[in-house]
Amino acid sequence: MQFKDYYQTLGVARDATADAIKKAFRKLARKYHPDVSKESDAELRMREVNEAYAVLSDPEKRAAYDQLGRGQQPGQEFRPPPDWDAGFEFSGRGYSPQETADYSDFFAELFGRMGGAHPGARDGHAGFRIQGEDHHAKVLLDIEDALNGGTRQISLRVPQVDDQGRVHLATRTLNVKIPKGVRAGQVIRLAGQGAPGTGGAPAGDLLLEVQFKPHARYRAEGRDLHLTLPVAPWEAALGAIVPLDLPHGGVKVRIPEGAQSGQSLRVRGHGLPGEPPGDLLLDIRVVLPPASTPKARELYETMARELAFDPRKQERG
Amino acid sequence: MRDDDILIGSLMEDSWLTLEQVAAACSVDAAWLMRHIEEGLFPHAESVAGTWRFSGTSLLRARRMRQLERDFDAVPELAALMADLLEEMDALRERVRRSGLG
Repeated sequence: MQFKDYYQTLGVARDATADAIKKAFRKLARKYHPDVSKESDAELRMREVNEAYAVLSDPEKRAAYDQLGRGQQPGQEFRPPPDWDAGFEFSGRGYSPQETADYSDFFAELFGRMGGAHPGARDGHAGFRIQGEDHHAKVLLDIEDALNGGTRQISLRVPQVDDQGRVHLATRTLNVKIPKGVRAGQVIRLAGQGAPGTGGAPAGDLLLEVQFKPHARYRAEGRDLHLTLPVAPWEAALGAIVPLDLPHGGVKVRIPEGAQSGQSLRVRGHGLPGEPPGDLLLDIRVVLPPASTPKARELYETMARELAFDPRKQERG
Repeated sequence: MRDDDILIGSLMEDSWLTLEQVAAACSVDAAWLMRHIEEGLFPHAESVAGTWRFSGTSLLRARRMRQLERDFDAVPELAALMADLLEEMDALRERVRRSGLG
C-alpha cells in the first residue's frame, strides 16, 4: 500500500487552516465536477479530491492522519503500525459508506472503521434491528441485452467488513438476469443484495440503474429503436422491399416510392419488447453508387441528359 | 454457471420509486428529501393518494443536490437551480448526440 499525501492532492500546506482547506477543495470540486469538467480523468481526480477532503476536513481524522504521516513521502510503501488509531474517535460524518467504497485502499485501511463496527448499516448501535442500506450502481448494458434478455455478469466494488470490524474493498461479481425490454434509466432491484441488516434485520436491496453502451448501429430512445438504413437511389425512387438483420430476428421493410434521405420509416412493434412493444425507426440515407466504371458514368450521364432535375430549384424558390 | 447463481431482479417502473427507496439509494435522510419536496425543489416527485413517488431521474437529482449542498455549502434553492441546469444540459447533450453532432 502506498502512502497518500492528502495535502498535496488538495494543493495546501500541512499547516493550512480549515478555511484554506475548504477553499482549495471547492476550487478543485468545481474544476473536476463530473458534469462540466473537460479533463479526461475528471472522475478519478474528483474521487481523490473527495477522499483527501473527507480526511482533512474532519478534525479527528486530520489529527490522526497527521500523526501517522510524519516523515512519510507520497507513493512510499506504507503499512500503518498496529493500533495506530488508538485514542482517536471517528464519528464518520458526511460521507456515506457507498462513497467511501470508491476511495483508495489506503483510506479503507486507515478509516475503514468509520461510524462504528457496522459500516453499511444505517446505524451502528448494537441491540437494534435495523434494515441494511440499499446500495446502488450504474450498469452499462448492450442494447442486445434489452432486446433478447439473458444473463449478464456484473462486477461491483463493495466494502466488506472482516471479523475485526475492518473494512476492505472487494470486487463482487453477480450474475444478473436482464429483464427483456429494459430501458435506459430504469432500475433493476435485487432484493436483499444491499448492505446486511443489523440485529437480524433484513439486508437492503441493490438498485441497478440501466444505461446502454453506445452501439455502432442502434440507438434506443425509450422503447423505440433507431437505426440508419442505407438505400440505393433506385430503391428510394422506385420503392423496394429490403431485408434487415436485427439482433432479435430479421425483418423485411417496405421502402415507399419516392423516399428521400432524412425521412424516417416507422415499423410498428419491432423496437424494444414490452407492453406495448416499441417501434423500429429507420432513418433513410440514400447512398450513391460511385461513378467509378465507364458503365456507371454512362448511366449518370444519361440521367443528367434526360431527366429535367434540379435539386436546388426549391432553394431558389 | 448454475441456475441458482443467477439473480433475478424486479424491474422498478419509474413511478415505483418510493421516498424511502430514493433516500436509501442516495444516502440522504428521508427528512432531507421531504423538506426539499415541500419547498418545491423536487419537481419529479408527485403525490398519489398521500404517497410520494419518484421518476427514475430523481436518483441522479437527489445525489447531485446533496453533493452540491455538502461540497459547496450551497443553499437548497441554489443546489436545485444547478440541478435544473444540469438536467437541461443532459437533455441538450442527448439531442446533440442523437443528431450525430456530438
